[in-house]
Amino acid sequence: MNTKLYLLFFTLAVVFSSCEKQLEQVPESSLATDNFYTNNNDFLQAVNGAYSQLSAYPSQALWLGEMRSDNINATSDGNRDWDGINNFTPNITTVGFISTAWKSNFNGIYNVNNVLSALETKGSVIGNEATVTRYTAECRFLRGFYYFQLLRLFGEVPILSTVKSAQELNSIPRSPVADVYAFIEADLTYAAANLPASFSGTDVGRATASAAKGILGLVYLTKSGPDYGVKGPGLNSNEYAKASALFDQIITGSPFSFGTSYSSIFSYSNENNSEVVFDVQFASSLNGAGFPSHLAPVAFWTSQGISNTYGNGYGASTFPVTKSLVTSYTTNTGGGTDVRYPFNVATTYTVSPFIKKYIDLTKKGTTGKDWPINFIVLRYTDVLLMKAECILHGAGGTQADADAIVNKVRTRAGIGTIANVTLETLMAERQREFLGEGLRWNDLVREGFALTQMNAWRIADGITKINPVVADYVIYPVPAAELQTTPGLYTQNPGYN
Amino acid sequence: MKITGNSGEHDCASTLPKAFLVLGLMGILSVSFVQATTGIRPEKNNTKSGLQHAVTIKGNVTDEKNLPLPGASVRVKNSKQVVSTDKNGDFQLVSTEDQPVLIFTYLGYKTKELSYTGQALSVRLEPDQSALDEVVVVGYGTQKKSDVLGAVASFNAKNVEEKPITRVEQALIGQMAGVQVKQQTGMVGAALSIQVRGAGSITAGNEPLYVLDGFPLDVASQSAAGGISGSPLDNLNPNDIESVQVLKDAAAGAIYGSRAANGVVIITTKRGVAGKARISFNANSGVSEVSRKLDVLSAEEWVAQATELANASWVASGAGRTASQTNAQRAAILALPAGTINTTYMTDPRWAQEGHPGLDYVDWQDAVYRKALYQNYEMSASGGSENVHYFISGNYLNQNGTLIKSNYKNYGLRANIEANASKKLKFGINLAPSYSINNAPPAEGKDNQLMKIAQMVPVVESSVGLNTGAYGNSTYTWSSPRLISPYAFLETAINSVKTSRLLTSVYADYQIINGLSLKSTVNYDNVDRNTSQYTSDQATVGAAESLFTNPGLLSTGAYIVTKKQNFLNENTLNYTKTIAQDHKISAIAGVSYNIVHTEGVRLETAGGFANDIIKTLSNAIANPAGVTTTGTSTASNNTLFSYYSRLQYAFKDRYLLSGTIRRDASSKFGSENRWGTFPSVSAGWKVSEESFLKDVKVISDLKLRASWGKSGNNNIGDYNAIATLVNSNYVFGGNTPTTATGQVVSGLANKALKWETSGTYDLGLDLSLFANRINFTFDAYHKKNSDLLLNLPVLSASGFSTSLQNIGAVVNKGLEFSLNTVNVKTADFQWSMNANIAFNKNTVTDLGPTHADIEIASAYSGSNAPYLLREGLPAFSYYITKTNGILTAADIADPSVAKLANQTVGDAKYLDANGDGKITAADRVVGGQPTPKYTWGWTNTFKYKDFDLGVQVYGQHGGSILSYFGRAIDFSGSTTANVLGVWRDHWTAASPDANAPRGKLGATYTYPNVTSDWIYSTDYFRVQNITLGYNLKKLFKTPAIGSARIYVSLENYFSHDKYKGGANPEAQNTNVSGDTSYGISGDYGSMPLSKTASIGVNFGF
Repeated sequence: MNTKLYLLFFTLAVVFSSCEKQLEQVPESSLATDNFYTNNNDFLQAVNGAYSQLSAYPSQALWLGEMRSDNINATSDGNRDWDGINNFTPNITTVGFISTAWKSNFNGIYNVNNVLSALETKGSVIGNEATVTRYTAECRFLRGFYYFQLLRLFGEVPILSTVKSAQELNSIPRSPVADVYAFIEADLTYAAANLPASFSGTDVGRATASAAKGILGLVYLTKSGPDYGVKGPGLNSNEYAKASALFDQIITGSPFSFGTSYSSIFSYSNENNSEVVFDVQFASSLNGAGFPSHLAPVAFWTSQGISNTYGNGYGASTFPVTKSLVTSYTTNTGGGTDVRYPFNVATTYTVSPFIKKYIDLTKKGTTGKDWPINFIVLRYTDVLLMKAECILHGAGGTQADADAIVNKVRTRAGIGTIANVTLETLMAERQREFLGEGLRWNDLVREGFALTQMNAWRIADGITKINPVVADYVIYPVPAAELQTTPGLYTQNPGYN
Repeated sequence: MKITGNSGEHDCASTLPKAFLVLGLMGILSVSFVQATTGIRPEKNNTKSGLQHAVTIKGNVTDEKNLPLPGASVRVKNSKQVVSTDKNGDFQLVSTEDQPVLIFTYLGYKTKELSYTGQALSVRLEPDQSALDEVVVVGYGTQKKSDVLGAVASFNAKNVEEKPITRVEQALIGQMAGVQVKQQTGMVGAALSIQVRGAGSITAGNEPLYVLDGFPLDVASQSAAGGISGSPLDNLNPNDIESVQVLKDAAAGAIYGSRAANGVVIITTKRGVAGKARISFNANSGVSEVSRKLDVLSAEEWVAQATELANASWVASGAGRTASQTNAQRAAILALPAGTINTTYMTDPRWAQEGHPGLDYVDWQDAVYRKALYQNYEMSASGGSENVHYFISGNYLNQNGTLIKSNYKNYGLRANIEANASKKLKFGINLAPSYSINNAPPAEGKDNQLMKIAQMVPVVESSVGLNTGAYGNSTYTWSSPRLISPYAFLETAINSVKTSRLLTSVYADYQIINGLSLKSTVNYDNVDRNTSQYTSDQATVGAAESLFTNPGLLSTGAYIVTKKQNFLNENTLNYTKTIAQDHKISAIAGVSYNIVHTEGVRLETAGGFANDIIKTLSNAIANPAGVTTTGTSTASNNTLFSYYSRLQYAFKDRYLLSGTIRRDASSKFGSENRWGTFPSVSAGWKVSEESFLKDVKVISDLKLRASWGKSGNNNIGDYNAIATLVNSNYVFGGNTPTTATGQVVSGLANKALKWETSGTYDLGLDLSLFANRINFTFDAYHKKNSDLLLNLPVLSASGFSTSLQNIGAVVNKGLEFSLNTVNVKTADFQWSMNANIAFNKNTVTDLGPTHADIEIASAYSGSNAPYLLREGLPAFSYYITKTNGILTAADIADPSVAKLANQTVGDAKYLDANGDGKITAADRVVGGQPTPKYTWGWTNTFKYKDFDLGVQVYGQHGGSILSYFGRAIDFSGSTTANVLGVWRDHWTAASPDANAPRGKLGATYTYPNVTSDWIYSTDYFRVQNITLGYNLKKLFKTPAIGSARIYVSLENYFSHDKYKGGANPEAQNTNVSGDTSYGISGDYGSMPLSKTASIGVNFGF
């Protein structure tokens, strides 16, 4: 009997030890992070991954920028999540667009911080110091970009230079706006100094030194804006000269130039043309773009015999370009017919004149989220006009220089020239030039027009459903979930509940 | 049936428990065997010498209905002699005893002893009402029910074949206290969800562990949308089931430690018993239809309402506009081109004409629901010799769904065979191959067909009829162009799921020494599932134009393969011993190893199809980017290694003690916390065995039980403890884009992840009165799930918004009562009853160190989160704006009454909960809980002569459903969409009805995101089954037919519920939070449950 028992326990012991090994399971269909960063290719893929959150930028620009501004007076068919953004209601702390913007930018920052720390500890496997520097510069450009987006939307945000655990974050409060600026400027300055002047072939679209300089110039310009008495992007810092100097480097340097035709700047077959300083890259079936469909009514697609899967999912809602803006396009001081109007706006669609700038029906992908068109973040004309803005703020240059820039833009648009450009006329020109590019709300905030212009427009257009715009609305609320998660760590921006 | 007794040197007291345990571990115990052995007396002193004269004893054995009992065992007391009755219940034997006493036994009947008096014996056996002698399958063994110390609910499946049941879960509805079977869909072939003692987990799954013949099947959780894909019960033939036991508390379940936190459902399939072959044939067939329709306006009602709305809107839109103006006049005033229709202000003149010429009034529900036939055949053979037992069955089910084009077919085979190789060694194999085809066109859920049938205007042009909007037809002018015929969609869509499954168990049982045996099993469950999907552009919005140039271009299709392999090896040692008569000890110890491997392949179209005829991907064409199909494949593994032990001790059969311990290691957790330890202890006192009660005849059995135990839950993803990368690609290259493969971290991995544990205290009482005529069971429990595997919200600055952590606790506490009685028992008439009721209170008690509420917003209702996790409240309580009557003129005039912008007299009034004069998110109140407070079931069985009648009723109370479906179709009227029937009675200025459920038509204010209007009680009661049977045996003179019965049955024919916002109060078909971290299954358009009238026969040969 005893022999049998011993045999039995021996068998069990063998079974036991072999099974213990089986408990170490590693994923079969995804890579464990522990096994990553072993060669240059891994690092390249990680850097590419850090770019991927840029794909969320166009939605932020359109739903939180364009939608907030006097470019659009949307009509809702019910109870839509963007209503409060368009209407300036205080109860938008749980709106998905706002919380998604917070989350996706921080996710982008997290990705960057992961790569940066790996570059520091394991970067030697790349075997090429220049490549390490380039990757570092690309990452820091992206981190600066994501942070700048957060700053403009929310004001104060926590600064994270490395990956932190959820527990550690519970004691990291939002940092003063000035500190966030300092962090962004350091990143973008490093990027401007270390990124290549240009990329070619399959690398076109990566951040270049000029992209970093352009964004950094915009950072200085934004920081120089008024503060409205809120902890927003404006710090009255008067850094126009710094901005102007950076813009000059782009204007005079290669390879950028002023596009000859307005429409060709946005052509599906002319991506990354010489106007484009930095853009978000999209391609059908690979990384399709959703933004061309964002602000078009669903009924437009069905009226074209196209499946409503090309729509934005908002039923019978419409997103008309405002009456004031239509008037601004159609009755121009200086005469002429503005070519930008029929290109940017669906003027013949009777239901609502929506922004059709990016819609080329012959180029549509498989769904409304699959357009093969890049979203331009910063283009040469923008740099020129920002330069004019600096001039009008006294940062070198003459009135004539500013006039020349504006008239260059007007001439291309097919309208007559003007003289003695003011900040008001400059911003009005920017509104017509950049419709649908998500810049308008930031422009208004930057130049101190956010309250005056918005409220004047509400009255001029006879809009009642949009609430009076007050200073608190210069920035968005912190998403409610962030306040609930760690009570007392962040305080809500004033004016929101 | 021939049974020989044990010839051994042990006395009865030690033989019995050993017999139970040894046989139990082999998992092939048959009740009859045990009962037969209970009659055995030691034989040593039985050999009598002396004068022997032989007598021939003849007789006949019948059942309680005086029908012959073939195969009953007749034994001569104190001898080895045994015979079986023949087909007519007759027996004959020759005895040499002087005063022979005969013992009659038959499975399920009380054993009877009779002395032979020289006359032919006519013996009538009574069915065994004593549930206490039943053997209950518990983890790794069996126990006499009277010895069970945990909370175990049993379901004897003996009657399943007598009813038309197509899935195992259906048989359990309303049968056991604390076991809630949720019928979340009426789609044919769909798995049902089972919840034992409330939901204890928040993020991890809540489905119980299913153990089939000792094989723990891989748990399939309910998806966030509510469905169960790949249920472990798929393809199982309910007629193969012998019994179902649900282990409800940790003491009972702890032996399955890991995974037992949500209860364990033990299913035992039928076994052969030694004796002549028994062949049974069961067939039933019937017709199903939907048990109830959704109440929406009829075509006439809608036309009246739309007319009222259009005229009112017209009159209100400007001066000089009157209801009597024609469309042409209205168009002229609006400066519209002649013939242009503005559906807001105009009606279709044909509505007002007699017989509405050119228009068909349709009921969309009638268009897509149908009377559906089903047929089900099952045949089995069982029997065996002394050394080989077998049960072999085959079944074929062909069930049409009540939704057009839906169908479920199942072909199943089973062979359970066991052989005694020697006195010490047994082998067995269970083999169950099956194949099913489930055609389930996509119908349930948000914006799907069953939502459309409620939204669609019930009027169509006669020229296109039910195909409005499809096949290139335009939609009706007064209908949304985005809603095209759900009828045409269902006719053309394909969603066909083909499942092959092979369930195998092979085992050997070896007796090492007396009382010690080793059992080893190898189990393998292989499931291959292929899904073909196709959506035709003939029924796709916006496809009209390309239909003429390239039909198929906008069709979509996919082919999906999932494979799952579950392998389990288990080795168990079992020891029993009786010491000094009074001390019974039994112990088991075992070790098990389990690996589950899954693979998936998915291929789908990128550019549509070349035509609308061939629907496989061979016909797919490239999209503008040159991509024809996209596809991916995945694989994953998880392993579980466990050892476990149980010790049971009984003193004088009166004081019972049991302890278990199980240690489990799961690959799903990080190496530091991989092991979980799950102990349990339980104690019982058979009070009725005490001397002071022994003589109380009224009480046949009284037992008090107490138990405590811990069990675990690892029902999460396979690799949640490991930080992994996921492809997050970008693209570079401008005009000639190329993918830039990107890798990012997929989420916040938690290396410290460990077992979610549930600790349960249970107090129970079992009481039997009047010779077991009344059996009563009571349990009180307190179950606390702690270290919840919870997707805890984290600051997004971490890169992610949630992190799976072991944080928080949920308590379920409750009371369970069940009562089995034989109310009347006469020769001709019997009435027995089973009643149960279970109360459960679900409370979230801990949400981590900050104790902060977790508000869960819905992607479909804007910002104010309608679901709440808050300490002290039931999980996922509704958090909504309360509707509080209708605004009167006085309310409008009173500035202190809070109102929303644009509200006028007759609109809904909302509760200003915080009294700040505004209706905001801060006015949300807790307005209901998703889980019922109590559930009950009541089954009555009557037998009168050759008739039998069974009536099952069940219900639930105290829960509610927040219906997103209700919200979607609960409009204040529309000229282009249908609305819920609640709007039939509405407030009007002419007759201001303060009790109207909603208010006035055509409200122009913006509703608060979620209001109490969309919360409906889920209280219901249902007459689940009425079966009337008649014994046909008398009609068949041929002895070849042993039994014959015909029956008619009504399933779910009568019911009542209060859910006006949908078709089924338990409906779950959409993740209404839209958030994968906090999936909330809700109703967004569901298939009503079916009611079925059927007829069937049972034959035994």
